[in-house]
Amino acid sequence: MVHPLIGAHAALGELAVFAFLWVFVELLNPTEQRIKRAKLAASLGVLFFFLSWFLGGYYYVEFYGSDVKPIIKEGPNPWAHGIFMETKEHVFLFLPFLSLAALGFIYKSGDNLIKKRNEKIAVLLLCSLIVLMGLSMAAMGYIISTGFRIALEAGL
Amino acid sequence: MKVHAKSLTHSTVLTIALITLITVWSEMSKPLKDFLAGITGHHWVTKGVLAFVFFIVLYLVFSKLFNDYEDINKQGYYIIGAAILGGLIIFIFYVWHFFA
Repeated sequence: MVHPLIGAHAALGELAVFAFLWVFVELLNPTEQRIKRAKLAASLGVLFFFLSWFLGGYYYVEFYGSDVKPIIKEGPNPWAHGIFMETKEHVFLFLPFLSLAALGFIYKSGDNLIKKRNEKIAVLLLCSLIVLMGLSMAAMGYIISTGFRIALEAGL
Repeated sequence: MKVHAKSLTHSTVLTIALITLITVWSEMSKPLKDFLAGITGHHWVTKGVLAFVFFIVLYLVFSKLFNDYEDINKQGYYIIGAAILGGLIIFIFYVWHFFA
């Protein structure tokens, strides 16, 4: 039972991760032109995270709770919901705010990212965290869908 | 775009703290979870809306109250620390909650 909303949610989340990876690369050795591109990439990342939040949230509220959650909970791997879905749905809420903070810092710091190494490193680390957390969302999504598939294969 | 870095840092850190606190608290207290669900129809939606409104309001209030930092050197580290700590608390809580 593959729902297009879950694909759109995952795709938008991945695009957001790629956007912040793009920011990271631009800011490794920043110039005025690269900072301009980093602002564009971070803006896109924020947009993608919010869109992923809304689409994933709609799927979660309308379909997951009634169609997927009970099957995982009755299946051989109930921890896929009890630990990983619960963690994912709440830690995901950090990402739109982290991405807004990264975007705000890039605008605030501007050309200081060229001159002040410490500011550049702080923004790079924040972008790294966003990328790693985004990838961990994808990994948890894989664990949750595997829990669902295994439950279906068990005949539930 | 003029950004108030101090307000952005404070509002991000406090929003992460709110999400973490309300997540754990609502699992421990059914009346709170039911109350959150009663506001929008689902507890998770209420948490999201609450976090978003909280973030915006805090940013606007702190922008009026505080002078901004000259640079953002340490700000990123506060946010990174809060996100790692909040994420770990939520994950460890749900591991404990599942096996309890």
